[in-house]
Amino acid sequence: MPSPIPRPDDPSTVSPHSQAGAPTVLKIVIAGGFGAGKTTAVGAVSEITPLSTEEYLTEASADVDSLAGLASKRTTTVAFDFGRLSLPDAPVPLELFLFGTPGQDRFVDLWYDLSRGAVGAVVLVDTRRLESSFTPVSFFEDIGLPLVVAVNQFDGAHPYHPEQVRAALELPAAVPVVTCDARDTNHVAGVLLALVDHAVNCAATTNRAGHAPSTTLQDV
Amino acid sequence: MTTYGRAAEESAFVRTYAVTRGRTKPRHLLALETVLEAGQGRPGPAQAEECGEILALCRERRRSVVELAGRLGRPVTAVKVLVSDLLDAGALVVPLTQSYADTGAGSGPSVQLLAAVSASLKRKWPDAVAYPQAG
Repeated sequence: MPSPIPRPDDPSTVSPHSQAGAPTVLKIVIAGGFGAGKTTAVGAVSEITPLSTEEYLTEASADVDSLAGLASKRTTTVAFDFGRLSLPDAPVPLELFLFGTPGQDRFVDLWYDLSRGAVGAVVLVDTRRLESSFTPVSFFEDIGLPLVVAVNQFDGAHPYHPEQVRAALELPAAVPVVTCDARDTNHVAGVLLALVDHAVNCAATTNRAGHAPSTTLQDV
Repeated sequence: MTTYGRAAEESAFVRTYAVTRGRTKPRHLLALETVLEAGQGRPGPAQAEECGEILALCRERRRSVVELAGRLGRPVTAVKVLVSDLLDAGALVVPLTQSYADTGAGSGPSVQLLAAVSASLKRKWPDAVAYPQAG
């Protein structure tokens, strides 16, 4: 149940005297399996302690638990992490909102909400549980959201080469695969930068969401 | 999930919507990232205690729906219902951002905006690890 685009339908709810500098908000989704380090990664760059936020999802119960045959929908709770950081010296005030979300496919509705208008998604990978990365990777690929795969290098885990992870996840060459330490601010900042720069490349070479094609130099 | 777990979840659900007086649908279109600021209006009488908390948080600084939900420890939809009440009363308003930086409906941010983000991130974290671009 994707919620609608925020568009104040009632003009009276829009501040007529809003002081200049209401920040432009940009969203980045950080998805990964249980224990992949999503909360740690959000916390490494967020200016606030990551907030655990809950939402109710309505889902068909037969798909997710043993109550097979029960056709009615039921409501479950999904928890995700939220962090934010401001970029005050940007030409316009910018805030990045970071959403850390679990990797199971029953959270697809939440991913649609988080992905709408987002810069892109980071799929955080624990190579010891690679299989939990397939669902978020294929989801973000399917909806055309710029995607970076970040391998969280856990102490003691075998240090796979990014190209090995690319092959295992069957990622196209265009998707950046990087390794990081999710506890390290400069690493996570580098992953965010890789995503933003990848999103620039995606926006320059494709036309997302059915926008009219724009002529580029290569087209001439 | 165990029977106990299910029962606990259902009772949490009921408690949550006691706060909204049974309403499960917000009156206003609000996204997780919709940012709110305190307005001139005053909330009506008999508002939930949480409405006061929302206003106090938004007087400190602008807050998004998702942040309010996290700080109140309430599900997002319940917070949207309360925020809608406060919007109706003018106690909260939705501030507008510069239109040229707008992220269009259904599409991603513009290349110009992304370039600004990239430059700002590099200034904020000059020691950020530089990863080579794929492709």
